[in-house]
Amino acid sequence: MQTKMFLRALALLTCLHAPAIFAAESCEAEASWKASDGERHFVVLAGRTDVFYERSGPTFVMLIRSAGDTVDLGAFGIHADANGHPAFGAVPASEYETFLGEPAAQGLAKSSAVMLRLEISGPQYERVLRVLRTWERRVAERALLYPDFALDNILLVRQTTDELNRCRQALVPYALDWGLDDDISEHNIALRIPFEYFKELKALNVARHVSDASMPVHLQMATLTAQRGPQAPAKEDE
Amino acid sequence: MKRRELFVSTSGNTCVQGARTCGTAELIPNVALRTHDDVPVRFYDDLVKGKQVVINMMYATCEGLCPAVTSRLVEVHRALAPRMGRDLFMYSITLKPNEDNPAALRAYADMHGALLPGWKFLTGDAYDIETLRFALFRHNHIKFDLDPNGHAGRLRIINDSINRWVHVTPLASKATVLQHISWADPPKSLEQRMQDNRALQDEIGREVARYGYRKVI
Repeated sequence: MQTKMFLRALALLTCLHAPAIFAAESCEAEASWKASDGERHFVVLAGRTDVFYERSGPTFVMLIRSAGDTVDLGAFGIHADANGHPAFGAVPASEYETFLGEPAAQGLAKSSAVMLRLEISGPQYERVLRVLRTWERRVAERALLYPDFALDNILLVRQTTDELNRCRQALVPYALDWGLDDDISEHNIALRIPFEYFKELKALNVARHVSDASMPVHLQMATLTAQRGPQAPAKEDE
Repeated sequence: MKRRELFVSTSGNTCVQGARTCGTAELIPNVALRTHDDVPVRFYDDLVKGKQVVINMMYATCEGLCPAVTSRLVEVHRALAPRMGRDLFMYSITLKPNEDNPAALRAYADMHGALLPGWKFLTGDAYDIETLRFALFRHNHIKFDLDPNGHAGRLRIINDSINRWVHVTPLASKATVLQHISWADPPKSLEQRMQDNRALQDEIGREVARYGYRKVI
């Protein structure tokens, strides 16, 4: 009898308090977070068109973190493979480096490239990195969630923007939800949806975009591309 | 200044369009889970392989759909009691594995009178649960798939021995749910089907004699 009462009390306690506790913990960490000296975090939502046969192109999420004398860089999403076909996974440096600076500076037409760069906090960076690491694991284990990886990439970009906004509004959102008001999903093929989504987010968040001129010198394109070497994985906890 | 790559781009961690080896997770993922009795199990090998199963997703703190679904499943379990745990099994998988440990699931099952033979409540690693959720309940619709709660209102019935998958909403009538479960029953022998048909015809005859028409459809 006592065991039964205990189990019911436990269930009730879990029922009433668990979600609030979990949400509060993660957002408290973000609210109290302070960057250590020189530590900066950025997320870049980047996309191009007119690369693949149906006129879509690479669309991916890039993370940049600088701390001390180290810069961590990486991008995950859809990119062109060696044959110019769409591929889903870790984006090669040669591809994502195009978006280390404003696309216009690379000679890309404004209509065919979009880049939204936001400065974010450490906890936001960790959450987005966790999303990308999970997709990295799914690709490695061949355990994607949809039969078409264009849909997986849409899920990835939605999860990324959801995580950025989890505790506070880091960017003005667009409701990419296949709902009645969602024109992007209504009028575009799956491969092109992330590009249109990033374009809309850029339009809604122009004021939050970090321009090339506002980037620290050691995180500017010329500096970072000059440092490119053989690819080696960076550990999360370093 | 040192530059480090967060991800390594190799053919092993990239999916190329059309590659057969890069599809979705296995049809029924064989992920490691724990039952409400804290017993480790493999989803496919231990729970589904060669069996007929009824699967739903829930979580212990769910106040909307889950209690109603669990209540309907208790009724279904009662109706199929002689088969439960023999050739038919029920699995309720948590949508919130980080919150629902085996003890919380046991408490939920106890609270709803669902500690019954052949019925297991399951938890596990969040990554594996998500793999399972998409494999069994995917809508191919980003909004619905992103919201795990949307998957609490569905029942997946699988008979692995004949590779038959059936889906029904648990909020349908008990008779409808039972009918859907029967659609995944193992095929009967010709003699058994003829015997069933004779019994059904007798019942129809009795109803027509009594009411003048077939009363129960």
